Amino acid sequence: MKKEDTVMLISAEGFEFVIDKKAAMVSQTIRNMLTSPGGFSETEHGKVTFPEISTTILEKICQYFYWSLQYASGKETEFHIEPELTLELMMAANYLHT
Amino acid sequence: MSSGQKKRNFQIEAFKHKVVVDPKYAEKTWKVLEHAIHEIYNHNASGLSFEELYRNAYNMVLHKYGEKLYSGLVSTMTFHLQTMSKSIEAAHGGSFLEELNSKWSDHNKALQMIRDILMYMDRTFIPSTRKTPVHELGLNLWRDNVVHSDKIQTRLLNTILELILRERTGEVINRGLMRNIIKMLMDLGASVYQEDFEKPFLDVSADFYRVESQEFIECSDCGDYLKKAERRLNEEIERVSHYLDVKSEAKITNVVEKEMIANHMLGLVHMENSGLVKMLLDDKFEDLGRMYNLFRRVPNGLSTIRDVMTSHIRDTGKQLVTDPEKSKNPVEFVECLLEKRDKYDKIISLAFGNDKTFQNALNSSFEYFINLNPRSPEYISLFVDDKLRKGLKGVKEEDIELILDKVMMLFRYLQEKDVFEKYYKQHLAKRLLSGKTVSDDAERSLIVKLKTECGYQFTSKLEGMFTDMKTSQDTMQGFYATYGAELANGPTLVVQVLTTGSWPTQSSVTCNLPSEMLALCEKFRSYYLGTHTGRRLSWQTNMGTADLRATFGNGQKYELNVSTYQMCVLMLFNGADSLSYREIEQATEIPSSDLKRCLQSLACVKGKNVLRKEPMSKDIVEDDGFSVNDKFTSKLRKVKIGTVVAQKESEPEKQETRQRVEEDRKPQIEAAIVRIMKSRRVLDHNNIIAEVTKQLQSRFLANPGEIKKRIESLIERDFLERDNADRRLYRYLA
Repeated sequence: MKKEDTVMLISAEGFEFVIDKKAAMVSQTIRNMLTSPGGFSETEHGKVTFPEISTTILEKICQYFYWSLQYASGKETEFHIEPELTLELMMAANYLHT
Repeated sequence: MSSGQKKRNFQIEAFKHKVVVDPKYAEKTWKVLEHAIHEIYNHNASGLSFEELYRNAYNMVLHKYGEKLYSGLVSTMTFHLQTMSKSIEAAHGGSFLEELNSKWSDHNKALQMIRDILMYMDRTFIPSTRKTPVHELGLNLWRDNVVHSDKIQTRLLNTILELILRERTGEVINRGLMRNIIKMLMDLGASVYQEDFEKPFLDVSADFYRVESQEFIECSDCGDYLKKAERRLNEEIERVSHYLDVKSEAKITNVVEKEMIANHMLGLVHMENSGLVKMLLDDKFEDLGRMYNLFRRVPNGLSTIRDVMTSHIRDTGKQLVTDPEKSKNPVEFVECLLEKRDKYDKIISLAFGNDKTFQNALNSSFEYFINLNPRSPEYISLFVDDKLRKGLKGVKEEDIELILDKVMMLFRYLQEKDVFEKYYKQHLAKRLLSGKTVSDDAERSLIVKLKTECGYQFTSKLEGMFTDMKTSQDTMQGFYATYGAELANGPTLVVQVLTTGSWPTQSSVTCNLPSEMLALCEKFRSYYLGTHTGRRLSWQTNMGTADLRATFGNGQKYELNVSTYQMCVLMLFNGADSLSYREIEQATEIPSSDLKRCLQSLACVKGKNVLRKEPMSKDIVEDDGFSVNDKFTSKLRKVKIGTVVAQKESEPEKQETRQRVEEDRKPQIEAAIVRIMKSRRVLDHNNIIAEVTKQLQSRFLANPGEIKKRIESLIERDFLERDNADRRLYRYLA
C-alpha cells in the first residue's frame, strides 16, 4: 500500500492505526483535515492525533469506516456495537462527523 | 477485534471532556484560534494542526462559547479584509485589478481553511442561532469591506467599463483577469453582479451603440451597416462567453438589437439604392440572409421585411401581368411568372431559412397579382400547350415533371380554375386531334396532378378525352382488320370517335366530302354502328386533317399536309383546272368564313400557294377564280399548309368563352346552395353567400350577385322559400 493512500490515526494512548485514506474519509472531519488547502500539518505528514479518543473507541471507529464502505457498496451486514461503548462512540461520531 | 478482546470488561466511564473550571478557558482557546486565523491570512498555516484547531473550536461550541467564537471570527476577518482593502486602494493604475484579484484569491483560500476548522460551528451553532454560515459570512465581509468600500466601488466599475470600451475599440485586454474579477462579483451574489456591474454596463453599452449606429447609418449602405451590426452582435456574444455571466447574453444582445436594429429598422429597409427592395432586385442572398437573421431578433422585424417584400412582389407582379407587351406572348408571360416565382423561392430558401410565413406571403402575393389579369388562366393553359406540343422535345423526364409542377403551382394561385379547365380542354382537344402531343406520359402526369389538386370531377372529362383516343385507335385497327383487303388501294381513313360532352362543344357543320372519302366514311359508319348499336355518329369535318399526294404540272410530286376543308377544296381540282369561288362553295358547302380562310392559306401564302388566284390579291372575294399553281415548287417534299394552331383568343372568342364559363357556373352555384341548405335547413343570406363562396373556392371565386340570382331562381323553382317572419332567412323545401 502506498503511503499517499494511507493515513495514520493516533489514539489518546498513542496507538497508531494505519488505514486507507478512502476509509478515513468516511469521516467528514478527517476528510476536511486531509483536503483543506493551505497545508495543515495533518495533510503534510499523513498523521492525525486524537488526544480525546481512546484506543478502543478509535479501533471501533476504524472498523466502522471499513464496514461503512462495504455497506455503501451494497453489502448489507449488521455492525455490532458493544453497549458499553455506545456513549463514547456516539460522542466521537459527533466529533468526527461520521 | 478478536473475541477475546470482546470479553474484556469495560466500565462506563464518566464524561470524558474536561469540565471547564478555568474561567479563562474560553479566552485562551479563542486566542489559539485567533492566532491561527492570523497565521492563515499570513500564509503561515503549514505548522498548524488541523485537529487541534478543530478540537478547540469544537470545544468552544460545545461549552456554549459559540457566540464568542463567531463574533471573534467576524472581527478578526474584518480586520484582515480592511488591511487588504488598504493595499488594494494603494495600487496604482493598471495594477489595481491585479491586486484586487490576488487579494481575492488569498481571501478565498483563507476562507476555505477557516471554514474547515470551524466546521463544527457551521454544523451546529450557526443553524440553531440562524447566523450566516462561515463561507457566506466571508463573502459578505469581503463585499462590505472591499468591493463596497468608498475608494474601490466606483473605481472598480470604471476600470471594468473602460477595459470593455477599449476592447470594443479594438484593443486587446487581459481577459483572464476580467474573467476572475467578474467571477468574483458573481460569487458575491446575483444582486452584487447586477447592481455593481451589469446595469451600468448595459447603460453604457446602450449609449455606445446609439452613437455608433448613428455614425454607421450616416456613412454606409444597408448591406454594410448590417454587416457591422452583425459583427458587433457576435462580439458581444463572444464577450459574454469569455468573461461575463451567461445570463447577461440575452440582456446585452437585447441592447445591441434595440440600438442597432430596432431603432433603425425602417430606415434600413427603405434605404435608397441599398435597401430591401434593391437587395431583392439584385438577388443579394447573403445580405438578405443577414437582414433576416438580424431582424428576426427584434419584435416586428420579420413582419417589416415581409411587408416590404410583399408589396414589392405585388407591385412588380402587377406591372408584369398588366403590361400589354407581355400579354402579346402568352408563353413568355407565363415564363416571366415562373421566373419571378423561382427567384423568390430561391431567396426564401437561401436567405430566409424557408420561413413558412414568408412562403405564405409569397403565395398570397402571387395569388393577388395573377388574378389581376383575367386572361391568366388562358395563358397558363397556352403555356402548357406550348410545352406539350414542342417544348418538351429532348427534355429529360424529371425536367418535364419539374415544369409541370411549376405550372401546377401557378394553377393553384388561380381563382378561376374553371376558366383554366375550359381552356385546357380546348387546347388538349386540339393537341389530341392533330396528333401534336409530344409525350403521352407528360399529358397524363399533368392530369394526375390536376386530379390530386381539384378532385376527380375536375379531370373526369379530360380523362374521357384520353380514353376516346385510345378506343378510337382500337376501333380503327378493328375496322382495317375487317375491311383492310378491299380498301388497300383507296385513301386511308383515321377516325377519332369523340364522346359528346367530354370534348369542347363544336357546332357541327358538315361539308360535302369528296366521293371517295364519302364512301369510306359510310363504310366506317356502318362498321361502327354494327359493333356499337344505339349510337349516333356525326362528322366533325372542321377538326380533321389530311395528307395528300399531289403531282403538279412539271411532274413534281409533293406531300401536302392540309385540313379536311382544304382537302375537300383541293380534291375538286382533280376534276377541273380552274374553279370560281362560288363553284367551290357550292360543291363543298363549307361555311363561307371557313372557306375564305382555307382558300387564303392555299393561295395567298408565299411558298405554300398550291393554288393560283385570279385576280392576285391578298383577300378572298366571292368573284375570285382559282386554278392549280403549276409552277409550285418547294424545297421540302412534305409541305405543311398552314393549319390554325392554338393561339391566343381574339376578343370575341374570349367573350364567348367567358360566357360559356359563366353559364357553366350557374348549375355549380345552384348545386352548392342546395347542398348547403339541405344540411342547414334554415340559413340567412350572408351565411349562404359565405358558405357557397367557400365551397366553390377551389374552382372559382363566386360572384355574390350571381349567387343571389341563383337563390332567386331556386325560390322560383320551389327549392327554397323565404321565411315569413324574417325575410333575410331562407328555408329549404324538401
